[in-house]
Amino acid sequence: MIYFDNGATTFPKPQSVINAVSSSLKEKGANPGRSGYKLALQAAELVYKSRSAVAEFFGASSPENVIFTPNCTTALNTVIKGILKKGDHAVISSLEHNAVARPLETLKKIGVSYSIAEFVPYDDDKTIDNFRNAINSNTKLVICTHASNVFGFKLPIDRIGAMCKIYDIKLCVDAAQTAGIIPINLADSYIDYLCTAGHKGLYGPMGTGLMIINNEKTPESLVQGGTGSQSEILEQPDLLPDKYESGTVNLSGIAGLAEGIRFVKMRNPEKILKHEIILIQSLYDKINKISGVELYTQRPDERYFVPVLSFNIKGMDSESVAMKLSEKYNIAVRAGLHCAPLAHKSMNTIDGGTVRVVLSVFSNEQQIMYLADCVRKIAKSI
Amino acid sequence: MKNNLIMFSSVTHAIKSRDLLKKYGIDARMIRTPIHLRNKSCGYSLLITKDFEKSLEIIKKNNIGILGVSAVDFR
Repeated sequence: MIYFDNGATTFPKPQSVINAVSSSLKEKGANPGRSGYKLALQAAELVYKSRSAVAEFFGASSPENVIFTPNCTTALNTVIKGILKKGDHAVISSLEHNAVARPLETLKKIGVSYSIAEFVPYDDDKTIDNFRNAINSNTKLVICTHASNVFGFKLPIDRIGAMCKIYDIKLCVDAAQTAGIIPINLADSYIDYLCTAGHKGLYGPMGTGLMIINNEKTPESLVQGGTGSQSEILEQPDLLPDKYESGTVNLSGIAGLAEGIRFVKMRNPEKILKHEIILIQSLYDKINKISGVELYTQRPDERYFVPVLSFNIKGMDSESVAMKLSEKYNIAVRAGLHCAPLAHKSMNTIDGGTVRVVLSVFSNEQQIMYLADCVRKIAKSI
Repeated sequence: MKNNLIMFSSVTHAIKSRDLLKKYGIDARMIRTPIHLRNKSCGYSLLITKDFEKSLEIIKKNNIGILGVSAVDFR
């Protein structure tokens, strides 16, 4: 199988990640932070080392500001529901995932409102103007994807952050599609809360995500329970990371995530991005020449894009194209709305969605040539 | 008996402090806080047999919260 659904989760995982997961299960399988026997302490050490590795990778101020979550969605929910209160207002981009839109829709019931700032492709000035025009005196939080999970557009996060700083608004960035390919240094950014998946560009196992707090203002906890600390009190501890890590953590997932980050560092995120951009440009050039293929963006380059490409074939719906690619040609892509109806609405693809191709460090030119050839055959058959 | 134990709420803070002290050449052993010192709490402590006061100063200087200090006999 040729796997191009790396926007959902990267596959395959590096062997070193598989080894780390396996060895944590075989050798460190005690509950970390609960007991004092050797194996439990070793498990706690493993979690702390992983936390430190994440902190270093993202330039977090301290390891305890790194919160392990089950996924990016949980991290985003924690920030959104933990910061916004009745009467507050939030601003999001028009490219947001449902992981952002749905919590905000839910909060409407308690009197939270939000506005959508339209992203303008290739014109950061206009995008920034739209964000500025969307804020009001009640705006407490801007939540913005670092890059669209459907069209690959990069958002001008640095400038949005600078604007938030001026208006004293907190910024939460969804880096699900960028962590591992676009360097993020929190120490040198205006990002207050960084949320990301651990199992995409960071090559960790599914079931891992991160919330990194880069601000004194900590959100309310989404889940409360046992933390292994301050057990004599019934209230949730206020200290980091315990405040957000109730219940047993995903030890093997965390071990795999730390190894994934080591893998990404070794390969160098900038080189990974370059590799994938060259391939996605190659795919763009090849399928752009095929009669019947519809593309929605300019030729992707590093300035405005991450390596994500959406397309359609005239006369066939996106799910049917994906099914044909799977069943006839053994190629894995994702079709439909990609849990991002706002993005599809913004790009006028809401009715049928798109076929999405997302690459990984393991993708290669032969696979791209094969995909393009298969797309040509499908387009010709209609 | 002199103080030799620094108590923390969280295992994360205990490990962070131990790693910090290591950079200063101070050995600290992480243990579960003895129950009679915990005020019914769960927690971890660092057992420090040399340079205790210096260790305490380093930890406080680095803004790592502690629950308290104590003297325990671990022979």
